[in-house]
Amino acid sequence: MTAAVEHDQVYAIAEEVFSAMIDGEPGYLRPWDGELPVAAEPLVAWVDVHGELAGRAAVTTDLETAHELTRALLGMGADEPVGPEDLNDAFGEVANVVGGNVKALLPTQGSLSLPVVATVLPEVPGTSLTHELRLDWRGRSIVVVVWLFQ
Amino acid sequence: MIRVLIADDSRVMRQIVIRTLRQAGYDWDIREASDGQEGLEAVRADEPDVVLSDWNMPNLTGIDFLRALRAEGFGTPFGFVTSEGSDEMRTLADEAGALFLIAKPFTADTFREAIDPVLA
Repeated sequence: MTAAVEHDQVYAIAEEVFSAMIDGEPGYLRPWDGELPVAAEPLVAWVDVHGELAGRAAVTTDLETAHELTRALLGMGADEPVGPEDLNDAFGEVANVVGGNVKALLPTQGSLSLPVVATVLPEVPGTSLTHELRLDWRGRSIVVVVWLFQ
Repeated sequence: MIRVLIADDSRVMRQIVIRTLRQAGYDWDIREASDGQEGLEAVRADEPDVVLSDWNMPNLTGIDFLRALRAEGFGTPFGFVTSEGSDEMRTLADEAGALFLIAKPFTADTFREAIDPVLA
């Protein structure tokens, strides 16, 4: 998916997902400035694209930020507790929408997997990282990565 | 009041679709289904005025849900709300009889632009 998808297009997708679905208005997502903090409790959500052009789109952050994303998606109050089911559902849906939009840029359309949420992104032999976007959402770090399966 | 069936395996996304319908000004009676199979059974039991369905779902995908409805003789107005909005998928949706395809992420304006012309 390297040549088919440009870095700026992935950034534009992330901006649109956050402004439309999460924040309700633009302006809360920008490139991360400086070194990324090490997440105490990392969480990653991804979808795979299967077909002639295959790959993976993943969103990585820490557990606390994933809770905040879930509250934003569901319109919950700042102190409302987030259950594990809603957390997986909401964070997986962020990866699903990012991945679906990346897939739509490809010249040939394969199929999209259902989203998976885990603490670690499993390695796939023969993959190469094509894009890594380090993002700042309201002062919290979120990384969007797109991989190519070879 | 228009009766809508929303089919999506993500409860969170169903909630967002419901919220966006309200923001778009559609004060509709809402039922939910958690995949295409459940959606198909819900239509068989009590046909709604319109179906809004995700595409990528376990058990029965949105496109197979639509094809099953048409094969069974249901002409229920049907629109997709999906993260995949490529030209190829829009063509597939159109050929299967969908009225529109709303790509995620969406806004209340996106909903009005897609829904107003077909339900007016």
